[in-house]
Amino acid sequence: MTTAGSTLTQEETDLHLGTVAAKPYQVVVWNDPVNLMSYVAWVFRSYFGHSKAKAKKLMLQVHHEGRAVVATGPREKAERDVTAMHGYGLQATIEEAE
Amino acid sequence: MARAFRATTRGYKADLESHERRLLSQLCADVITMLEQRTQEVSGDRLSREETRSDAEPPEAIEGTTNRRFADTAQEPGDDPFVHFRRELAGLGAGLGEETEADGVVPPSDPALARLLPEASSDPEEAAQFRRLAESSLRESKIADLRAARLALESDPVTLTEEQAPVFGRALNDVRLTLAARLGIEDEADAEQVHQRAGRGRAATTDDFMAELYAFSTWLQETLFSAMLEVIPDAEGDVADQD
Repeated sequence: MTTAGSTLTQEETDLHLGTVAAKPYQVVVWNDPVNLMSYVAWVFRSYFGHSKAKAKKLMLQVHHEGRAVVATGPREKAERDVTAMHGYGLQATIEEAE
Repeated sequence: MARAFRATTRGYKADLESHERRLLSQLCADVITMLEQRTQEVSGDRLSREETRSDAEPPEAIEGTTNRRFADTAQEPGDDPFVHFRRELAGLGAGLGEETEADGVVPPSDPALARLLPEASSDPEEAAQFRRLAESSLRESKIADLRAARLALESDPVTLTEEQAPVFGRALNDVRLTLAARLGIEDEADAEQVHQRAGRGRAATTDDFMAELYAFSTWLQETLFSAMLEVIPDAEGDVADQD
């Protein structure tokens, strides 16, 4: 592939590879008046594997502040998480991590 | 009198009256009907609005199991206030699908469906794309949960394994979300009002009845998940989570 005249192509490829670094996304769960605190805490523990203390902290953050970031990661994983939260009936959205 | 869910050596168990199990099962069936209608709408194969609004048909007719489930519900089905309530619950009076576009990415106009199939992003374009990719499998998984819950409600006492409990809990939650949307619960004060209404005793109106069902299913879910939280091991988690 490499020939004497291919310098430019090589550079373009390198530049392209340089931009691939994936942007992280975050999963936000929003407060609502229907989902029970015990239920939300259970979902956070069983689905994300959060500890008892962390699940409780996030659950209370959702309750008091209206929202909480419950997971951060590559876009595909965040999409799966949001769909799973919808499966549990939680209000969840995906957004770019700050 | 119902006895709450509690953990036993063979899973979670609750003693419910037969009419309580039947009511919960019917609620699950109504949510299934509502989700299936959405499926029909977004696939462009929806029933005409005249058909869905026909006064003669209770929602479960669409499922084709009218007689089996309805026969033991009321002595006089034609005169039963529950028929009206269940039609309301399934959104059959709310002009379902008025705004549905052929591509099916428009969010549901019905508030209960909109709550069960929520927007995945605050950016409408992103939400529409997400909906196009994910909504149909979300509907299918909810329908599967609700069907499994109906099956579980056929046993007495209701007994759930560790694997079945989350499925039942999700279905029960979808029932609660649907009731909450029909009751117009938008904040904590609304929810409190509904609980007070439920505590007043004998239901006189459709909303009273829905409030009682909401309070009952809330209580049931609270007992189930309190029991489930007890048994999640908290091993090294607390040490690992320092953030």
